Amino acid sequence: MEFWKDSQEAVTAVLKMHELLMEDAELVNSMKKVNQLIWYDYTESGPGCAVWVDCRGGNLAFGAGDPPDKPDLTMSLSADDAHRAWSDKLNPVMAITRKKIRVKGSATGLLKLAPKIKKVAVYYNKGLRDLGWEDKILK
Amino acid sequence: MKYPDISFEPFFTWVNRPRVMYAPGVRSEVGYEMDLLGGTKALIITDKGLVKAGVVDLICEAVKKSDLEVVGIFDEILQDARINLINQGADFYRKHRADCMIVVGGGSVMDTAKAVNILIGGGHEDFQPLADQAGLWEGAQPLPPHIAFPTTAGTGCEVTNAMVVLDEKAHAKLSVTHPYCNADIAMLDPELTVKLPPKITAFTGMDALTHAIEGITSKGAEPIGDALALHAIRLICKYLPLAVSEPENVDARGNMLISSTLAGMCFTNTLTGAVHAMAHSLGALYGIPHGLANSILLPHVMEFNLAEQPERFRMIADAMGLDVGKMDPLKAGRAAVKAVRELQAGIGLKETLKDFGVPQDREALMPLVELAASDGQISYNPRYAEEEDILNLYLKAR
Repeated sequence: MEFWKDSQEAVTAVLKMHELLMEDAELVNSMKKVNQLIWYDYTESGPGCAVWVDCRGGNLAFGAGDPPDKPDLTMSLSADDAHRAWSDKLNPVMAITRKKIRVKGSATGLLKLAPKIKKVAVYYNKGLRDLGWEDKILK
Repeated sequence: MKYPDISFEPFFTWVNRPRVMYAPGVRSEVGYEMDLLGGTKALIITDKGLVKAGVVDLICEAVKKSDLEVVGIFDEILQDARINLINQGADFYRKHRADCMIVVGGGSVMDTAKAVNILIGGGHEDFQPLADQAGLWEGAQPLPPHIAFPTTAGTGCEVTNAMVVLDEKAHAKLSVTHPYCNADIAMLDPELTVKLPPKITAFTGMDALTHAIEGITSKGAEPIGDALALHAIRLICKYLPLAVSEPENVDARGNMLISSTLAGMCFTNTLTGAVHAMAHSLGALYGIPHGLANSILLPHVMEFNLAEQPERFRMIADAMGLDVGKMDPLKAGRAAVKAVRELQAGIGLKETLKDFGVPQDREALMPLVELAASDGQISYNPRYAEEEDILNLYLKAR
């Protein structure tokens, strides 16, 4: 992997970002509107390298590894490309067309959040700083 | 103008699959070309207006001179690609035992046909779950033979690898991409467009101009797209007024078809921006034809974006035929906006959003704003557009 010492680091960074996102009422509200169980599957970078986000029923929860139910949407990509994506440095359309991101299930809800990636990236970078990984922040 | 220092996406890919054939009367080649693609029994996909105008007859006459058989004409398509009509179209294709399609129409017809072909190629019956998935690249296979004749010069749908589908239940337009959904061959036959009314000629032409301008200023802009878009702008500025004022001018019609295809090849790679995001919402909630919505919004969004990409707007001004030699980039960009407004006035497009009942009340505008703010194209606008920015742009365009 280009950015991570091991796959657990990638999971830690994404979980930290979601923890910080919970403080942003606008983003939380937008995520709840997605109303899906989403599985970010980074397992091509290592077993257990995955994060789930459950936005169903007006709730918002997240965790590492396999999702608690069958996901409504699975996005599969490498941990390195996840780092680029959360940093707003990955062109999602190009990534899908090059099969670097594989989508299974209804993506319409999550795609509505795509324009907010710039705001999300701010939290992602803050999370990296909080974790002492400032060197991983993509310029 | 001396070519300026222009930045672009440091890593980009560019793709365009369809073969393009151009000639007045190129429809005479349809049977031969479909045979090469392996098609023997063709379904024509079109709309009732084109049947009534005799345009479909021109295609049928051309087919009769070959071994290709027309097994049916599906002419149920309405404004926008609608999921129920896509499903009906696939059913019609199967019942008539077609093995290929000839598509005759504008953006709504061509986008519906793309979706029908995806259903046929994949053995699916309902397009809704595929539309929900948005990106249909995983495991995608080439689709049955498909030749398209665009009858408007605007959408570029004959070459784009995406389709915009109206989800009537969700009151939203969904962009769906598939690597093989565009036509195997785009046949640009200007003789098929001479009966297009001036008004539709005008706003579909402005659609092509929007594709070119948003393509060249998008966050995904790159040099290949730049080359295509700049030439599209040159052609549109010269030939759109002619195509409107002289509908039978085949030369003007042909150059407009070429410009539309050039702009389509550009924006299918670079994507677009705020004009498209906002126009999709206007189409979904107010039924405003896509090209007309784009036209109304274009100068306002250009003004909003000017300071973000001044050199790129200067190139646009130059391609529009303005003498930008002594102008600084911002001044040239403002001149380009003025030239767009003059072009609109010259071709008789005077509508504003007020004419379509778009309200002034901020709260009443919020459904439009929220839809536009969550449209995938907004991410490619050169300037980050907050909800407040989008709201103000709608108000300005009113």
